[in-house]
Amino acid sequence: MKQIQMNKNPSFSLISTKKIIQMNNISTSYDSKSFALKGINMSIERGTNYAVVGQSGSGKSTLLKLMNGMMIPSNGTIKIDYVTPKMNDKKFKKMMHTIGYIPQNLGLVKNITVLENILIGALPRIGKISSLFKKFPKEELDEAKRILNLVGLGNKESRKAYMLSGGEKRRVAIARALMQKPTILLADEIVSELDHVTAREIMNLIADAQKTMNLTAIMVHHDMQLALEYADRVAVIKEGEKVLEIGVEGDTIVDFQTGDMDIEEIMETYADDSKK
Amino acid sequence: MTPKNNIVIGIIVALVVIASYNMDADPVKFFEGLPNLGIILEEVILVEPKYIPTALWAMFETIQMAFIGTAVGVAISLPLSMLAARNLNSKFVYAPIRALLAAMRTFPSILWALLFVIMVGSGSFAGILAIIMYTIGFIAKLQYETIETIDSDPMDAVDSIGVSKSQLIRYVVIPESASHLLSQILYMFDYNVRQTSILGLVGAGGIGFYIINYIKFFEYGKAAIFMLIVLITVLVIDWASVKIRDKFIIKSQHGMEISSN
Ligand SMILES: Nc1ncnc2c1ncn2[C@@H]1O[C@H](COP(=O)(O)OP(=O)(O)O)[C@@H](O)[C@H]1O
Ligand SMILES: [Mg+2]
Repeated sequence: MKQIQMNKNPSFSLISTKKIIQMNNISTSYDSKSFALKGINMSIERGTNYAVVGQSGSGKSTLLKLMNGMMIPSNGTIKIDYVTPKMNDKKFKKMMHTIGYIPQNLGLVKNITVLENILIGALPRIGKISSLFKKFPKEELDEAKRILNLVGLGNKESRKAYMLSGGEKRRVAIARALMQKPTILLADEIVSELDHVTAREIMNLIADAQKTMNLTAIMVHHDMQLALEYADRVAVIKEGEKVLEIGVEGDTIVDFQTGDMDIEEIMETYADDSKK
Repeated sequence: MTPKNNIVIGIIVALVVIASYNMDADPVKFFEGLPNLGIILEEVILVEPKYIPTALWAMFETIQMAFIGTAVGVAISLPLSMLAARNLNSKFVYAPIRALLAAMRTFPSILWALLFVIMVGSGSFAGILAIIMYTIGFIAKLQYETIETIDSDPMDAVDSIGVSKSQLIRYVVIPESASHLLSQILYMFDYNVRQTSILGLVGAGGIGFYIINYIKFFEYGKAAIFMLIVLITVLVIDWASVKIRDKFIIKSQHGMEISSN
């Protein structure tokens, strides 16, 4: 609780050194007619398990693409670990190596094996020439196998990615991101289409990795229930605007705009969002 | 069938008739000429079987030329197609490469062959060079178009890690397009065998050289035997490449469907 109250005062310098993501009045658009995101302010502390919830088309995926530098905002400033994302910028490119991004469609390479998909996460650390011959140092191969076991795919390393089930594909995508030795993990609706049990298995996997690797996880969800279950913080986006940001600690929820709020009330207000 | 369509069809038919008149194209002559085929058929039966090994050897030479031409052409076209793909390069890279490839495609292979006969003299080498040039212009276009249809999800995901372009090509572009590229290469080889068979007409080697010479000396029977060998060979290669495609390529063309919202 203490931590959440301190966050109310972002100008306090000691705390702001912990901010891994800072968005200041961000707006962005795909075309000249409308904004996909409007006036977003967001600051995320290192090591947080952060969730973004909102209806389809509210701008959640766009928000994640801003965080990994795939999109540049049209207005406002954004800093990822104190670096401003820029296309073709050496400093930011180095940062991209350690941002694990799992897009909504996972982005696996379907005609290569599970192990090769995971090793893609290590490519920035490998010499260009040897990587072209698929030659990886032993320690990278060992690391890939360790992660493979961690995500529970130890026996599927030579299977082609297209042959996997939906749950298994998600595990591969997580493994590829973890192979990057990430400091930030971005996951876009990674469990939205899974059944209840598999969804929680995947969420537990990420939660464990997040704690042991001291990751900052930013996960987009469709389902408020799931977000509240796993996240320390939940931001709610509606039509491109952040309408709510709540801190979660056990059964207590703190709303930063209106003060304390009851969990039932939040669920009632946003239950619709998760079902539409 | 709308009235508008009828008018369009009417215009096309009228144009065909007018153009035929202009070209001196007379269907009656076609039917009057049919008995001449009978004469050739008679001559075919009279041809001594000792010409068949020669024909087979000439065909083998033709296949070799097509094989070398296809292999070298593909080896050159593959990197060019990577540079010509819009999803991998900036306009300043792909636009000039595309223009170059388009220019190469404007020449049919027989014109390339003529050019190389003038350059390096008549014979198979000129033919191989012609096949290489034609293959580059033709297959590079098929290949960059294939590369441009690769699913953008893995491209974006891997790109966002900050890998180099060569790594992106090695780990996403090639695996995701390999089966299509391979079947295009097979098709190209098949096509090149047919093309190489006629390059002899301008002195660029291969079985066409025999065919044109027999025709010149009115030995239609022998010419027909050689043409028959070409026909059979092309059918066999066609059949074999369908088999190869079915067995090795189609099998690996599975999509990964994850619906999105
Ligand atoms: N590539 C795109 N081109 C144009 N508009 C887009 C594109 N991607 C998303 N949008 C629009 O931006 C808005 C936000 O989209 P998105 O961030 O994908 O929402 P969400 O992930 O919450 O479903 C939507 O109105 C969507 O139609
Ligand atoms: Mg989305």
